[in-house]
Amino acid sequence: MLRILLCLAVCALLAGGPGAAAQTTLNPDISAITRFLVETDDGEKLDQGKREFSKPDLQFQEMELGLQAYLNPYARGDIFLSVQGPDVESAKLGLEEAYVTVLRGLPLDLNLRAGKYRVEFGKLNMTHPHGWAFITQPLVEQRFLGEDGLNDLGLSVSALLPTGDVYTRLTVDVLRGLSVPPAAGIEDTTGTKPLYAFSGRLSSFFTLDDFRDLEVGLSCYTGIQDPYNHERFWYANLDFKYKYRPGTYTSLVVQGEFLLNRRSASQNRQFVPFLNAAGNPEVKTITSSGLYLFADYQFMKIFSVGARYDWAEDPYGADDRASAIGVFLGYYPVEETLALRLQYQNTNTVSPGTTQSVNYIGLQLMFSLGPHKAHPF
Amino acid sequence: MKRIFGILSFVLLFPALSPATVRVVTSLPDLADIAQQIGRDRVKVDFIVQGDQNPHYVEVKPSYMMKLKTADIFFIIGMELEIWAPQLVDGSRNSSLLVVDLSRDIRKLEVPARVMDASAGDVHRYGNPHYWLDPRNIHIIADEMVEALARVSPGDEQFFRANADAYIKVIDGKIAEWEKLMKPFAGKKIVTFHQSWSYLAAWTGLEVAGQVEPKPGIPPSPTHTTELLTLMRQAKIKAIVVEPFYDASAPEQIARSSDAKVLRLSTSVGGVREAKDYITLMDYNLQSLAAALR
Repeated sequence: MLRILLCLAVCALLAGGPGAAAQTTLNPDISAITRFLVETDDGEKLDQGKREFSKPDLQFQEMELGLQAYLNPYARGDIFLSVQGPDVESAKLGLEEAYVTVLRGLPLDLNLRAGKYRVEFGKLNMTHPHGWAFITQPLVEQRFLGEDGLNDLGLSVSALLPTGDVYTRLTVDVLRGLSVPPAAGIEDTTGTKPLYAFSGRLSSFFTLDDFRDLEVGLSCYTGIQDPYNHERFWYANLDFKYKYRPGTYTSLVVQGEFLLNRRSASQNRQFVPFLNAAGNPEVKTITSSGLYLFADYQFMKIFSVGARYDWAEDPYGADDRASAIGVFLGYYPVEETLALRLQYQNTNTVSPGTTQSVNYIGLQLMFSLGPHKAHPF
Repeated sequence: MKRIFGILSFVLLFPALSPATVRVVTSLPDLADIAQQIGRDRVKVDFIVQGDQNPHYVEVKPSYMMKLKTADIFFIIGMELEIWAPQLVDGSRNSSLLVVDLSRDIRKLEVPARVMDASAGDVHRYGNPHYWLDPRNIHIIADEMVEALARVSPGDEQFFRANADAYIKVIDGKIAEWEKLMKPFAGKKIVTFHQSWSYLAAWTGLEVAGQVEPKPGIPPSPTHTTELLTLMRQAKIKAIVVEPFYDASAPEQIARSSDAKVLRLSTSVGGVREAKDYITLMDYNLQSLAAALR
């Protein structure tokens, strides 16, 4: 009996005493953000000549679990685990990001990042989808970077350049090269051999006045889409973000990106060889591009409204292209712990011989618990 | 030759003879004013949060990182008021930056007795951080600043100490004046939007009877507003204190239905036109309160 009482006393001390606070401080910050989605579109039966909206269904979209903490005075670690929907029963826990960032102690005040992470390519790619003002991924990101964005294993070095009071950062990455979809498609035949890709971004932040800020960035990425034929592709990307915040609960964000793709290819995405007029195999140089532009206006503490325009060609040909116009509404009843987003989007797809127009309506419910680090500007 | 040698000696010796400039960044403009009073011409002071901005929610902007990149000292209120500060410090890449939490020796109010979770709203686990609104705490803030400034520029310690003492003397004179002004209202009840005024109320003897927010950081709800209105009518509360960055529609609705007045008081320098420094900030706040409670 005495032993049980002693055990209980020790447990009580550990739970409520100073030790509890010390343990909390050493534990990483844990956060979880979960997204659910109800969506419908009228594109399912278009090939049967019918235009009718599909039955809306509540789907599990994603649960992201974040673990973030300083490792020591010089470095911090960030881990994001993700369970992807929509199939709840067979959903598996995946590694979205896991990286260490050395923040201090390196020459020239360099920062070093190693692990698996969302690559600093463009502006939107660095933001987790729960941080977007809209539900759907812009077409240009979807087509050129893939549904999960540019997220790869690699090593990144960044430096602040001496540009006076203007914040200018240069980031260079060496990546494993298996993130971009065409390469991932070929991964099935090459195993998991690294293909190596290189990425870089130069960005500058300008404070225009007390209420207005502007960030512009130029990124480039090069990788190999077909290791058998040594075919390389290049992306160049221009991004900007403008924010006008005249009051605590009023702000306007205008953001856009333009991506230019150039690649040498002997076959298309479906591995069909390109042939010249004489019917012999040929290597084509393909140039295509895409862009998105959106504006998001927060007009009350709990409401925001916005619109987005997308236009994108295909990485393997400019004759396959799509454009979309969407409007979206955000409702944040209690800060950012709970959010509802409603989006309508009309997407027009043009490929050789076919043209399709699809209307989409989505309603997203998101809740967030725990201390999730704020996404920077 | 002798002249050239003389000029060279002067040029080489001048930096050692001239007072060093300590580059200081503060989270709030109030702290910037105090740091300026202590450091005078031997400090270059800048701050992050504007006076009319909610210090709890600050966007992590690269321009703020640039302010810290070249700074020697970053003074913060602490107690998790500036939850955004670590990201700015990390982003500044300034490994020699001295980050000074000024709350170390403050007698803290409203420290939760148990571990709190989000069901209690945005409760600060180390207590209410708005301690700079009790001017008696300026002594502690000034002492911490002198200590930090002297660490960066040891040769100027006496200069900083003398300036701090002179400033504290001025503040002590104002405290006597402010206490005299507020004495008739000791025990009077007020309602505030957020729990920003606990230190000021504890010092002046005012009683904060309730908040427009049902819980810290949580927007007003109809049920809570009705309960608050009943309380205000029963207790004949005359003033609802609202910071410039909060939406005043709910307080104004409550004021219309009761015999109260909405007071737009500022927690920081620059939050209202009259608050040009810490002393005029307190002058404005206390005179406005006194006028409303009369």
